[in-house]
Amino acid sequence: MAEPVIRFQGVSKSFGSKVVLQDLSLDIPRGQTTVILGPSGTGKSVLIKLLVGLLEPDEGSILVEGVDVATATEAELFEVRKQIGMLFQDGALFDSLSVADNIAFPLRRHTTLSDEAIAAKVAELLAKVGLEGIEELMPSSLSGGMRKRVSLARAIVMDPEIVLFDEPNSGLDPVTSDEIDALIGRMKDELGMTFIIISHDIVGTFAVADKIAMLYNGGLIADGTPDEVLHSREDVVRRFLKRNMELPPL
Amino acid sequence: MITAFVRSVGRYGLFCWDCGVSAWRHGVRWDRVMGEASKLGVRSFGVLAVMALFVGTNLAIQGHAAFSALGAQSLVGMFVALAGVREVCPLLAGTMVAAKAGTEMTAQLAVMRTKEQIDALEVMAIDPRAELVVPPLLGIMIALPALTIISIAIALGSSVAVAVWQLGLEYGDYVDWLVSNITVFDLTAAMIKALVFAVVIATVSGWFGFFSERGPIGVGSATNKAVVVMCIVCITLNFFLTTVLYG
Repeated sequence: MAEPVIRFQGVSKSFGSKVVLQDLSLDIPRGQTTVILGPSGTGKSVLIKLLVGLLEPDEGSILVEGVDVATATEAELFEVRKQIGMLFQDGALFDSLSVADNIAFPLRRHTTLSDEAIAAKVAELLAKVGLEGIEELMPSSLSGGMRKRVSLARAIVMDPEIVLFDEPNSGLDPVTSDEIDALIGRMKDELGMTFIIISHDIVGTFAVADKIAMLYNGGLIADGTPDEVLHSREDVVRRFLKRNMELPPL
Repeated sequence: MITAFVRSVGRYGLFCWDCGVSAWRHGVRWDRVMGEASKLGVRSFGVLAVMALFVGTNLAIQGHAAFSALGAQSLVGMFVALAGVREVCPLLAGTMVAAKAGTEMTAQLAVMRTKEQIDALEVMAIDPRAELVVPPLLGIMIALPALTIISIAIALGSSVAVAVWQLGLEYGDYVDWLVSNITVFDLTAAMIKALVFAVVIATVSGWFGFFSERGPIGVGSATNKAVVVMCIVCITLNFFLTTVLYG
């Protein structure tokens, strides 16, 4: 397996009396696509928020390129975040900015690129996600699938090492959902970045994953290649997968 | 309840501190500050002008009603000057900006929180306080003193009109009493009040919006709480400022 770019080590997180993650350890290999699966409410989104420092773990460490985001200074955390792009569940596009300004936003804040260079980069990324010529549209006029594509373009505009996808298929019809899966698969081949996908879309997961980690009751109940997970003897894993897939006999 | 209140005040204080630190570390985007100031000024001018116009007229009428019973109509100008410049106009401009710009800021931030746009800024390694709170804060600090001065001018002007044309007071006498009772210190005190109100309005709106609960109910609740707290805090601080400045 490739060298880990991210290491969760003994991570626990609770909200009041509700334990969401309990002593969780997980390695995310560099340059591969890791899908974190699990039923709703098992802490998948919490895991991703811990990774980018939006939440602090109660215990444990989260190393991104060797920097522990749980104890990092603000400056260190900002440097880590510059290596991360994220596609949020509903896109999280800024309503008051056009598509082009949304995608250009990180470039304008973190680089000294000229307006022409930024416009060229925006056009290139829009072409990459299959949305040429929509620079001037406002987010409110985009469909759900288009919002996800624009959000993906914004997530990769800084050429990050790691791209996080929080439920990329949520709220999409099956056709658009397949298109997003195909887009993620194509991006994975083209960009060579580390992708982490939070999902409970099982079919889409197996189409793009190099590694699958499954969360349940605050811990990992499966962690391996798609084939290993498919052959898991864990009852919860089998029940979770069976709903959408034909499982091999044990 | 008292513990919760103290905890909230503490969190608000930390938020204000963080905003200051963010501005210090990440710098101030003055183009956005001036944009916020001019937007607030332009959008607020009309409604403030109407309010100030009728505050001035009513102060003159009430002053006349009170002092004519004592046979001291000439004091009406002094009454309007003292009440209008020192108390009513700074508070009027402050509460109007709180109701208009403050609630707008809270609602915008709360919607951004709900739609994960504030999280998105953080993940982009952009400090959301420096981006979303500091420019409106400084913009309001620029615009509110200017709006206060404008409201004073309009209120005094309208009071002159009512005093002369409706109440039959002598123009020169009224204006003499009005102008001679407005000092540079009064105008400075009004500016100080406006600056304090500006900080309260921006930070309270920012705090409620920034930490609002997600969803439409969270947005509505945050906006409602923000305007109530802003008004109460501004009126309370007005008492303390008046005590310190004139007591």
